[in-house]
Amino acid sequence: MFWALVALLLPLAGGLLSALCGLARVPKLAALPAVLSFAAAAVLSLMVLSDVYHGGGELRFAANLGTWFSAGHLTANVTFTLDPLSLTMLCTVTFIATWIAVFSASYMHGDAGFARYFAVMGLFVFFMCLLVLADNFFLLVAGWEGVGLCSYLLVGYYYAKPSAASAARKALLVTRLGDVGMILGIFLLWRMGGYATDLSVLFERIGNNPPPAAEMTTACLLLFCGAVGKSAQLPLYVWLPDAMEGPTPVSALIHAATMVTAGVYLLARCAPLFVLSPDAQLAVAIVGGLTAFVAAFIALAQYDLKRVLAYSTVSQLGFMFMALGCGGVVSPKMTVMAAVFHLFTHAFFKALLFLGSGSVMHAMGGVIDMRKFGGLRKVMPVTHATFLIGALALAGFPLLSGFWSKDHILHVLSDAGETRMKYHNTYYAVFLLAALTALMTAFYTFRAYFLTFWGPVKIPHEAHGHAHESPKMMTIPLIVLAVFALGVGAVVDPITHGFGHFLDRTPSIARADQLYFKTTNMVHTEHEFNWTIAAISAVLAGVGILAAAALYGRGGPEKVPAGLGGLHSLSANRLYVDEVYEATLVKPVEGLAVAGRQFDSFLDAFARLLSYLPRFGAAVLRPLQNGLVQFYALGMILGLGVFLTVILVRSAK
Amino acid sequence: MPPALANPVAQLALAAVLGLLGFYLLLPKPRLRSVAGGTFLVIAAFAVLAGFVYLRFGKPIESLLPDVLFCLFAGGAVLFGTLLVTNRNPARGAIAFAFVILSTCGLFLLLAAPFLVAATIIIYAGAIIVTFLFVLMLSQVTGPSDENDRTREPLLGSLAGFAFIGLLLMTLNLSAAQPGAAVADAPPLPVEPLTKADRKLLAEAAQELDTVPTADDLVKIQAAVKAAKDKIAEIVGEPGQPLSGATVFDRHRLFAQGTADAREAAFLRATDKLQRANVKMEDEAALATSVDGAKAAAKKLRDELALYSGYGQLPARNVANVGFVLYSEHILAVELAGTLLLVATIGAVAIAGRRKEATA
Amino acid sequence: MISLWHFLAVGAVLFGLGLIGFLTRRNLITMFLCAEMMLQGVVLNFLAFGRYHGNMSGQVFGLFIITVAACEAGLALALFLTLYRRGKSLDSADWQTVREAGLPPTVDTDPLPRPPAEPLPPTLPVAGRLPDTFAASHPETTRA
Repeated sequence: MFWALVALLLPLAGGLLSALCGLARVPKLAALPAVLSFAAAAVLSLMVLSDVYHGGGELRFAANLGTWFSAGHLTANVTFTLDPLSLTMLCTVTFIATWIAVFSASYMHGDAGFARYFAVMGLFVFFMCLLVLADNFFLLVAGWEGVGLCSYLLVGYYYAKPSAASAARKALLVTRLGDVGMILGIFLLWRMGGYATDLSVLFERIGNNPPPAAEMTTACLLLFCGAVGKSAQLPLYVWLPDAMEGPTPVSALIHAATMVTAGVYLLARCAPLFVLSPDAQLAVAIVGGLTAFVAAFIALAQYDLKRVLAYSTVSQLGFMFMALGCGGVVSPKMTVMAAVFHLFTHAFFKALLFLGSGSVMHAMGGVIDMRKFGGLRKVMPVTHATFLIGALALAGFPLLSGFWSKDHILHVLSDAGETRMKYHNTYYAVFLLAALTALMTAFYTFRAYFLTFWGPVKIPHEAHGHAHESPKMMTIPLIVLAVFALGVGAVVDPITHGFGHFLDRTPSIARADQLYFKTTNMVHTEHEFNWTIAAISAVLAGVGILAAAALYGRGGPEKVPAGLGGLHSLSANRLYVDEVYEATLVKPVEGLAVAGRQFDSFLDAFARLLSYLPRFGAAVLRPLQNGLVQFYALGMILGLGVFLTVILVRSAK
Repeated sequence: MPPALANPVAQLALAAVLGLLGFYLLLPKPRLRSVAGGTFLVIAAFAVLAGFVYLRFGKPIESLLPDVLFCLFAGGAVLFGTLLVTNRNPARGAIAFAFVILSTCGLFLLLAAPFLVAATIIIYAGAIIVTFLFVLMLSQVTGPSDENDRTREPLLGSLAGFAFIGLLLMTLNLSAAQPGAAVADAPPLPVEPLTKADRKLLAEAAQELDTVPTADDLVKIQAAVKAAKDKIAEIVGEPGQPLSGATVFDRHRLFAQGTADAREAAFLRATDKLQRANVKMEDEAALATSVDGAKAAAKKLRDELALYSGYGQLPARNVANVGFVLYSEHILAVELAGTLLLVATIGAVAIAGRRKEATA
Repeated sequence: MISLWHFLAVGAVLFGLGLIGFLTRRNLITMFLCAEMMLQGVVLNFLAFGRYHGNMSGQVFGLFIITVAACEAGLALALFLTLYRRGKSLDSADWQTVREAGLPPTVDTDPLPRPPAEPLPPTLPVAGRLPDTFAASHPETTRA
């Protein structure tokens, strides 16, 4: 436990040291504390993971470090939990952060805010670790908001650029919308669970006396609101593509591997609650499915490589939510395992893809528009190879990590579609949607790949004609992540479900499972590998890749097939969602802001008017003091006369 | 008389308005100055005031000469006061002030304060007015000038003054008893000054206290004191009787509570000593001291009686009486007044002395 | 029936008249004399009360009042002399510098009445005829 807390605090210390390097005017050293602290944290978390893994039985180390604040019924304790779920997340976060930090040290070389970058990154990793280790809702919210803040700071890293500043603001505000719902959900749970805010206590109480279904559904949906915001699901995903204004390693860390997965983590952690509300779970699945489909559709026609990857992230997150949403009809152990496994593999290959695009951008002199370059496989071989591996993993090419995790999700979805539980038709529809999305995923991934790396070599003039492979510090993380993207799926044993069994030892998941079996009276069946689904997903991936190769194999300018022009422009314009939001939400709020400012200046004028009154009164009274003593004496006598009159009138009565 | 004017308040208001307008017209101003109109209005105002005073407070003194003298002096004071205020020539104003002083001194005489008459005339008319006239001569102005021909706020000033007069007279109106109202417990009182017979009685009473008391005489002293007390009470009134509705020559009421208490205390001291002496008649020494004490108290009592009996003796006793009260009850104020005079003298010399610098 | 009230009424009137004079007149000497008249009214008041209550303190305080009035007169005259030396006039309106900053001084602009012009010395009308030269240069003497 102690080492886990050390692993929690190390990134914070590293971030502070980087900040100090910046303040002490030695920014070049700022990368070192960050990388070292992240690496140390990764090592420590692996140590703790292996401790817990070999511990056996149901595992949960908890530590209650006292009360943070309390007011009446509300008490927030500082409690941490070390169970397999949180440790998995912790290891993922710290490991990937380490390699991204190494990449950034070279990518951000020479930038003026070098120290600031690493300081905020350290802070971010600290908050993310806090989020995953927290056993109390308030600590979780603290981590949640902290990662939101660091995301704002990092997306707005190039703060002088107006588009970057507004993208950062958009990210913060849109996720903030989701956070409102989440906090409401937390308070609802607090009240329902007998005024407890510790997750473990809450799960136990609510599990023992389940509240009425409507309340439970409301609470779960409100929690899901937070996930919708942070994990960029359907109404609130618009911030993620714009967040590509930040530096590319930031996108890799935050918007691929860690922050956006916080929503998935939340739902996975709260599985015992969601199990009690099948309606909420259906909503989760539907939202996830729609998101996945819409994002994949938009990604089909984007020409900015990073945006393709961003929409791809949104789509893959949709997949994870689809899996989580089946927890009502399929055993939560399976669904949570599927979602978390996909999260795990997605972290690796998406980070790899983002870093690869960063490498490309670095070589192309800051250009990431795919229409402006081409044929880079000869120019940047290492980047090309690792990017290919990542693309294959994303597309779900058999035997790569992405294949196993996507396969799990499809399996869970098909199980949900086939059971005799309620909503199974809807789940079946979601399953079909997921299959279609998988096809589209493969297609757009390889479209991007072919447009970037195949075809005639075309270097934009911003690269000054000398594009070359990136330096070692950038390629080594690529290689490492590629290795993991290749093998991590198989290594964690998809067939014998080592990962799943490890994860099942999480007490909350086990409890969710218990509740599921109690409420649904399903028979506990042993999970077995479904070859049909595996075959279907392999076929889908292959078809998508071949279609992309057919259309874009020779790279070059994109030719839209006849008849699909309308759909293509719809996709290229991102379904006009941003424009709709601008008109319906942003403009009225701006109008309110202007009205508020007018009211404020009205109040200012009113206050100034009040200040005029004494001055006006003084100006009226000032001529009374004209320096003539007889006048003063006259005033005195008149006043005395009034006084006497009053006295006489009173005494005459 | 119209019934509306029967109300003293209405009379005062009318007098105030008339006086206000009259003074406004009389005060020296470049425009709107009308001596004739102003004089007429002022005379009317003071006539109304005199009527008010007469009606409300009755005839001042019930024998003719003092009444006439009062009206003369009061009218003179008011007339010359008006002249002082409204005359544009300051020298003439100073002369008018001198006549004001003379009229008020006449009133002082009617109030049995001859020493103050002399003092006022000497100091005011002799010193102050003369010095003012010297200063006026230094700063002679010929022809119309700002200081003489203009007034500051004539209307408001007159209003303030007459409002003040009206209010003060209103106060008097509210506090005076109704004219002709019967005063309760007022015994019929002689109105003549102390006659020779009365004085003789008082002197005898005082003399009786001069005898040296022997053992046998103590009884006599007791009796004498009691007799004196009775006689004084008979002439002068009982100590402790409330004062109300006294006339000028009501000497019975002239003894204020304070002096009555002092007298009573003197009586008590004398009788107490006599009583104690009476008790300790066996002890010769005690008898001697008690007799001395009784003698001293009796002497004191005789002095007081002599003092009071001299009250009706104008003017010689007035100075003595003033001096007596001044140096016995108000000695501190005397010292302070002397200091004030010294400081004022030094200050005047310091301020007005010729300066070496050429600033003029 | 008492006439304490008469004396008080006279004192009140004297005080009021002095008040009017003090508030209105601009000549410093006149102002001061009016203040002295106010004090006389007060002395009258004191004496009346003293007489009617059989108390010598009334006269004693009258004495104090004229003492204070004398001191006041001395100091006032010293101050008037000083002011006259500076301002060359005995006008109280010359000294208004204690007014509020920024206010213009109060100046009376009504024209003072001109003193009546000295009457011309009596002249006899012209009798008979004058030489032509004289008549030509003095057309007013002819009746034409």
